[in-house]
Amino acid sequence: MDRRDFIRNSALASASMMVPSFLKAFGIGRNELFMPAANTTGKRLVVIQLSGGNDGLNCVVPFRNDLYYQARPSLGLKDDDIIKITDEVALNSNLQGLADLFNSGNLSIINSVGYPNPNRSHFRSMDIWQSASDENQYLYSGWVGRYLDATCNGTCAKPYNAIEIDDTLSLALKGDTMKGLAFSRASILHNSSQNPIIRGVANEYRPNNDHPEVEYLQKTLAETMESADYIYAHSKTFKSQRTYPANNFGNHLKTIAELICSDCNSSVYYLSLSGFDTHVLQKGQQKRALKTLSDGLAAFCQDLKENNKFDDTVVMTFSEFGRRVAQNASGGTDHGTANNIYVISGKLAKPGLYNPMADLQNLDEGDLIYNVDFRQVYATMLDKVLGVDSQKVLGKKFEMMNFV
Amino acid sequence: MASAQKKIQHLFLRAGFGETPSRINSLVNAPLSSVVDGLFAASQEYKDINYLPYPIPENEEKNGVGAFKILKMFLKSYGEMEELNGEWLFKMTYTPAVLREKMTFFWHNHFSTSTPLAYLMQVQNNTLRQYAMGKFGDLLHAVAKDPAMILYLNNQQNKKAHPNENFAREVMELFTLGVGNYTEKDIKESARAFTGWTVNAKGEYQFNDKQHDFDEKEFLGQKGNFTGEDILNIILANKQTAVFITTKIYKEFVNQNVNTERVNELAEGFFNSGYDISALMKTIFKSDWFYDDENIGAKICSPVELLVRYKKLVNVDTSNKKTLVDLQKALGQVLFFPPNVAGWKGGNTWIDSSSLLLRLSIPLYVIRGEGLILKAKPHPEENPEDAPKDDDSERGKITSDWTDLNNAFKDIPADKQMQAMLDYFIQCDTSRIDRNLLKTSWTNSDKDNLTLSMAAIMSLPEFQLI
Repeated sequence: MDRRDFIRNSALASASMMVPSFLKAFGIGRNELFMPAANTTGKRLVVIQLSGGNDGLNCVVPFRNDLYYQARPSLGLKDDDIIKITDEVALNSNLQGLADLFNSGNLSIINSVGYPNPNRSHFRSMDIWQSASDENQYLYSGWVGRYLDATCNGTCAKPYNAIEIDDTLSLALKGDTMKGLAFSRASILHNSSQNPIIRGVANEYRPNNDHPEVEYLQKTLAETMESADYIYAHSKTFKSQRTYPANNFGNHLKTIAELICSDCNSSVYYLSLSGFDTHVLQKGQQKRALKTLSDGLAAFCQDLKENNKFDDTVVMTFSEFGRRVAQNASGGTDHGTANNIYVISGKLAKPGLYNPMADLQNLDEGDLIYNVDFRQVYATMLDKVLGVDSQKVLGKKFEMMNFV
Repeated sequence: MASAQKKIQHLFLRAGFGETPSRINSLVNAPLSSVVDGLFAASQEYKDINYLPYPIPENEEKNGVGAFKILKMFLKSYGEMEELNGEWLFKMTYTPAVLREKMTFFWHNHFSTSTPLAYLMQVQNNTLRQYAMGKFGDLLHAVAKDPAMILYLNNQQNKKAHPNENFAREVMELFTLGVGNYTEKDIKESARAFTGWTVNAKGEYQFNDKQHDFDEKEFLGQKGNFTGEDILNIILANKQTAVFITTKIYKEFVNQNVNTERVNELAEGFFNSGYDISALMKTIFKSDWFYDDENIGAKICSPVELLVRYKKLVNVDTSNKKTLVDLQKALGQVLFFPPNVAGWKGGNTWIDSSSLLLRLSIPLYVIRGEGLILKAKPHPEENPEDAPKDDDSERGKITSDWTDLNNAFKDIPADKQMQAMLDYFIQCDTSRIDRNLLKTSWTNSDKDNLTLSMAAIMSLPEFQLI
């Protein structure tokens, strides 16, 4: 044990470390609480979900393409509204943080990501993305949750190995046997876990073979308490010195950075940002949402960099769909299909524009045609970042990509 | 074997949303069979939900509605959906026709639908309620022509020249036969029979003969110039439909673990009765095996069942209607927003660390009356600025009334009181529960000890099992 570990462990120990009896009931002693990272790569993934259907075409702008301006006579971005990143491609001027990351070789933009027969319902399409299903398949588990299932066959995974910063757990983090942990603030999670009745039940937990439902509830409760203690202890060990934008998204990114920097044993962090459903008067609405995204990520990446965590962290953004190429009559855009994905890390195998910009010439009834299945991106993250066999999680083999 | 009290409670928790101690006490000595008959009798009369008015003014109905207007209607509709939600919760709690409401709730999940127009969801809800306890065939025919369903499963786009198979596929896969009992060809052929089944500008079902394919179809081994109605009747003539529906009802009302022999026997009766839903339910509730130990307290209640039970027990209410919807969202089940066409899966899928911790924390929130600010992800069409704020104390306020519960238990001798309460609140075996834990004074509150003990019992994982 090096000095660093010792400091961390004593911080944990002082917070809660009489091993509670419910852990003993699992056969878990003190040492197991300080297990090495659940994955073998030592890397972690941060997933940012942009809810509502982000208009990727006004994020990554083909500013030399007439077809773009023809389709968007008033909504097409030019001059002051863009930041040029190549001779033909610009970013929305509200994405200054992403432009900086692009220039420093820490951003990879993957264009035309989607799936066949795209669904335009927010809910259905989000389900497809979160469950990583085929478009005509209904799954009740998500790809991150099934990653937990696949980690040493689910035997060593803990809820806190995949964390969502929210009051509810998304489908993405629900596996068939293991589920991730959701909380909006470590202190609220801690307070709920201090309810003496609930704590008492958890402390008295013994496996109950007579009643499978009681057993399931009590076991989940015991794991929840263990996770709440673990998170609370870690939330105390590192306080970020950086200033984040004063909004929920910024606060949540800060929580994630602090957990990462406290060496919290979580391989996946999941966070949503909403406000991207821009049917009406898009410019102003998208501006707010993009600025929140970009400013937050800029602070987050800087924070990780300063703490030497940026190289082994990979951030990806996604949205349930892109939007129609043409603007609508209300100064907005309607639900579309394929979209771009941003991958951010201190270390990327292929930074910059990963593949050609979306083809605006060949459209499917006014919509972009995908040429990268979103599950290729997932498969790459699973194999290369999280170190599991992606086929186990996704049910089939997808072609690897080489952005990381 | 379960006591008479447990059996009555079991009946009301499964066939309804639970009952108050005084009601249970008044029925505990009656023969079960007559209590069951009473449940059915109480559900003969019922009322529609007529909360939302028809959304399009008369003059615009004639001239047509512009796209911008429709968008505005959708946006307004999100708020209306919350009001409709509260209205249905209220009805579930206070209607005497509890079985009909429970069946309506079951069909809401079975014929899973979600459209952004609240008014059409209200129409569908009333249709489900009307046929909830009648003949399944009538229900199926009505739902197939229900405007919300037509829009949800894209039958509006199902035209002779370009058939859309979505409705045809789901009607067989999820609503009647189940996977493996039809072919892809059956889907293609039956989709043609549903062409021209549309919703008009008034939001009503309309048969559009210009878009309907009148030619011959071959479906499940039969040939003819079938209409959509013919297709549904062929499906109903297939006994597998009775097996599929009965299995789903058994899983929901009896036990997730299916007793195949028993279900097949029930399905036989269901089929022979011409799909009489009431007759099937009555058979189940009057069977001895329904009250077997393995079926009592064996079901993790759904979030809506939990909330309605709280309303029934202590009249839980929130000063802001949104809070009840926030709560449903955080627990994973919002009325009128099923996750997809396959509905809520139920059982263990309700439970994860956060939803379980929230479920078990509700009694504390209720006792304290405040502090429930839930930040579940906003609806994609919702303005993010409408999301709850940390300091929005009004939104987190909860009111409750424990008087009736107190009255029910306060005169019981001290040495019997705890067991009496456990027997009422907990359906599964209570022998392993630590009584001392429940007696501790566990929170700062102005509530008396009896109330705190009841709230403690409601904080146990076992309370989640009905």
